[in-house]
Amino acid sequence: MIKNYLKIAWRNLVKNKAYSIINVGGLALGMAVTLIIGLWLADELSHDNYFSQKDRMAQVLQSQTFNQNVGTGPAIPRPLEKALRDGYMDNFKYLIMSSWTNDLYLKFNETSISRPGNFMQREAPEYLELEILKGEKDGLREINSIMLSESTAEALFGKQDPIGKVVKASNQYDLMVTGVFKDLPYNNSFRDIDYLIPWDKYVSIQEWVKNAEDNWGNNSFQMFVQLADNVSMDQVSSIIKDVKKDLNEDTAEFNPQLFLLPMKDWYLRSNFENGKQVGGRIKYVWLFGVIGAFVLLLACINFMNLSTARSEKRAKEVGIRKSIGSQRNQLINQFLSESFLVVLFAFLMAIFIVVLSLTGFNELARKEIDFPWASTKFWLVSLGFVLFTSLLAGSYPALYLSSFRPVDVLKGTYQSGKYSGLPRKILVVLQFTVSVAFIIGTVIVMQQINFAKNRPVGYDREGLIQIPTFSQDFSGKTDLMRTEFLNSGAIVEMSTSSSPTTRIWSNRSGYTWEGKPEGFQEDLAWTEVSPEYAKSLNLKIVEGRDFSREFASDSMAVLINETAKRYLGMENPVGMLLKDDDTEDPDPPLKIIGVVEDMIAQSPYEPVKQGMYVFDRFDNFSYYNMRLNPNQSASRNIAVIEQVFKEHFPDIPFEYDFVDAEYAEKFAAEERVGTLSGIFTALAILISCLGLFGLTSFVAEQRTKEIGVRKVLGASVFNVWNMLSKDFLKLVTISCFIAVPISYYVMNGWLQEYPYRVILKWWIFALAMIGALGITMLTVSFQAIKAARSNPIKSLRTE
Amino acid sequence: MLLQLNNIFKWVNSGGQRIFLLKDINLEVQEGEFISVMGPSGSGKSTLLNVIGMLDGFEEGEYTFLDEPVHSLKEKHRANLYKEYIGFVFQQYHLLDDLTVQENLEMPLLYKKIKGTERKAMVADMLDRFNIVGKKDLFPAQLSGGQQQLVGIARALISSPKLILADEPTGNLNSSQGEEIMALFKQLNDEGVTIIQVTHSEKNAAYGSRIINLLDGRMI
Repeated sequence: MIKNYLKIAWRNLVKNKAYSIINVGGLALGMAVTLIIGLWLADELSHDNYFSQKDRMAQVLQSQTFNQNVGTGPAIPRPLEKALRDGYMDNFKYLIMSSWTNDLYLKFNETSISRPGNFMQREAPEYLELEILKGEKDGLREINSIMLSESTAEALFGKQDPIGKVVKASNQYDLMVTGVFKDLPYNNSFRDIDYLIPWDKYVSIQEWVKNAEDNWGNNSFQMFVQLADNVSMDQVSSIIKDVKKDLNEDTAEFNPQLFLLPMKDWYLRSNFENGKQVGGRIKYVWLFGVIGAFVLLLACINFMNLSTARSEKRAKEVGIRKSIGSQRNQLINQFLSESFLVVLFAFLMAIFIVVLSLTGFNELARKEIDFPWASTKFWLVSLGFVLFTSLLAGSYPALYLSSFRPVDVLKGTYQSGKYSGLPRKILVVLQFTVSVAFIIGTVIVMQQINFAKNRPVGYDREGLIQIPTFSQDFSGKTDLMRTEFLNSGAIVEMSTSSSPTTRIWSNRSGYTWEGKPEGFQEDLAWTEVSPEYAKSLNLKIVEGRDFSREFASDSMAVLINETAKRYLGMENPVGMLLKDDDTEDPDPPLKIIGVVEDMIAQSPYEPVKQGMYVFDRFDNFSYYNMRLNPNQSASRNIAVIEQVFKEHFPDIPFEYDFVDAEYAEKFAAEERVGTLSGIFTALAILISCLGLFGLTSFVAEQRTKEIGVRKVLGASVFNVWNMLSKDFLKLVTISCFIAVPISYYVMNGWLQEYPYRVILKWWIFALAMIGALGITMLTVSFQAIKAARSNPIKSLRTE
Repeated sequence: MLLQLNNIFKWVNSGGQRIFLLKDINLEVQEGEFISVMGPSGSGKSTLLNVIGMLDGFEEGEYTFLDEPVHSLKEKHRANLYKEYIGFVFQQYHLLDDLTVQENLEMPLLYKKIKGTERKAMVADMLDRFNIVGKKDLFPAQLSGGQQQLVGIARALISSPKLILADEPTGNLNSSQGEEIMALFKQLNDEGVTIIQVTHSEKNAAYGSRIINLLDGRMI
């Protein structure tokens, strides 16, 4: 029986080619979108699934309160380790101190590379479930050892056996390779780790780390844990909550609260607002999930509409079948098998489309998703997906078509009732509501991105490069290098800074100044810079003066930004002192010599943070900032800079970033959303229009006789076009009026997340409406004009 | 007795008025009869046929088919009865356009859930009997009207019904084709199949053993 159903279905498909192409093609597009989004969702949700103990792994986070503002982050102080090990270790299976993931220069013979990685405690390889390819798992036992990822080992040693070889790190100290581990997969929170060096080495080589041992105020470290078997995340979180507050009085005023962020939340729910977990990437998971569902729904609606629109053609078949003994449920089965066949077809096409577009999608979405050919789970889910789609798309036509009474349809007196087209109309309205809402959403996302992009950044990021200087080799050579680079003619100015132009790496508090309000807990962005910082960035001085090499006293000088001036409540900040409020061993006070214009160093969607630019007395810089010579091509400048760089630092790999590119990175997440939703919107519209196109052609066919009669009576092409288009335009207009308030509500909500946001203008909505109506008109007109221009004699004769 | 209609009334309401399609029909049909239903257009011939064929319902009266009270049977039960004992032949043949001759013949057997091998044999028999073996892989559109009607009759016969209902079976055929079809009906009737046909033609009606005349839904 099934065979018979499928045979009929197949012949139907072949017989009505245009219909089949629209039906299968539209459905295939919709399914391809849903599949790709599905793969993307699976990838997002399986982040960190590498770890067998994922459910028991966590990072220790800290919330602190500054002026009623609760800030939450993973930075914790060093003494916390001892406190937890001494008093709370029965809650943990592993407790591992770690540095941040930083680039490190690694050199072996003549090969010198820069790779990211961490300094971590001995159990890290166990904790990270590293797959050891060479050497030993306990490779961090000796202080002067290093473990490398497979790719890094290969880059350094080529085909040689790395075990036992000595590499020079940071061009300063020697480390022996004790292990090589397989690179962690890309959808892993630790994927950037290419080297592991014992934590103790970190302590011994970095003075500030050593000094932080008992300093509860220096929150510069990370702590990863795995729970003991008999406790839960919540239990441990509540146990360790007040450990820091109870042990240290100095920092108690900031109300430090410790808690665990479970690994399952690291990637998707890592945003905190005022101490509360407020999601994160999970919102995109939801967003794209909803988009995928809607696009599939649109494609299914096409299927339903085209099937029911063709009902007149199928009615006779239903009548005959019933008259030779078919029961209704047999007909329902038949139509469902037909829809299954179509969906299966569409699915195969969708797979084809997905395979073709996966590379492009990966690039857009920054993913490395492979098509899961070998995954049983994928095929099972797909089968379910196909069945579900067949039911979704086929149930309505099946129920509708099988309900015809044979006596009516066989007599030829069958007339679709006045309201038989109503469900179809409702579905068209639904389709276009979704499409119009998508258009509006996409336009608003794009607008918001452009709005933030056009925001003045406060400095000149064109022709500005930064060179990382993560080695002691650079110490004490700043002036020399500046002169060398200037003499080479490749740059017009150079400065150093302790953090990149597009980031804030450090924050400070604990100052007093004249007029500081009682109980005010300041929090200032902290950047150490060389005197030419403002000059090299073209940062405007709005009050006072810039650093000057003429004044020796400038070594204790500081520039603040305009926001800081307001934040600190200073009418005339120039000349005022910021004093360290540490009573025992205070640093000398900092003297404000000038105010610079606000520059965006963090999110372009947020207000600029109050900050200070301090004279770099101890060569704490991490970057050279260079203003390229505008009279030469950038590539020429870079080549010269590299040459000079190599002369002085032959053992350090030359790396640089264009600051404008780095800045553009800040928009990457939103731009990805914008681009992807743009593509999905285009597809949604295409699918909806395919359906509309099909529907119009059926209507035109149905009304051939009427059109013929009207033409004989003198109707013009325009009259006929008007008659056929009017109905559809009406439906799309209704959709617009439903879509506008919905999308306004949703997009307004989305924008609230950005303190710096575009104002929604009425014309966006008007434009989307006009666009949707225009597209509808084009789609419908093609068929309408074709029908209107056909020779009436012909159409009348065929009836 | 094959079937019996007692006081059958069928009507539709239109604009507050009751329009009778069938009025007080009383009819008894014995097995082996060949009945012709005649009457002008709109007299209710086809409606009567559809009621007998259980494709259509009625508002009042009793219908007994092989001692089963059709008027009080459930839909499913009625369909089974109908599948088992009744075959339909239409004026417009009503073959399934997307299926070949062979597949069209097979269709009722599929609905009766007859097994594949048996099905094949029955179809082959029927093709043989109607001399259309050579046309088994053609589609209806490739056949002449007479041939299509032949297939239509073959399809009605394939599940060996007791009763064949034919609604102007020769209405779309030329006279020689029509005669062939009528001769076939006569032959079937001689073999014991009960036939009820609707016809406009006196000549065709003469093939039957009894003529029922309808006017405005009434038997006269």
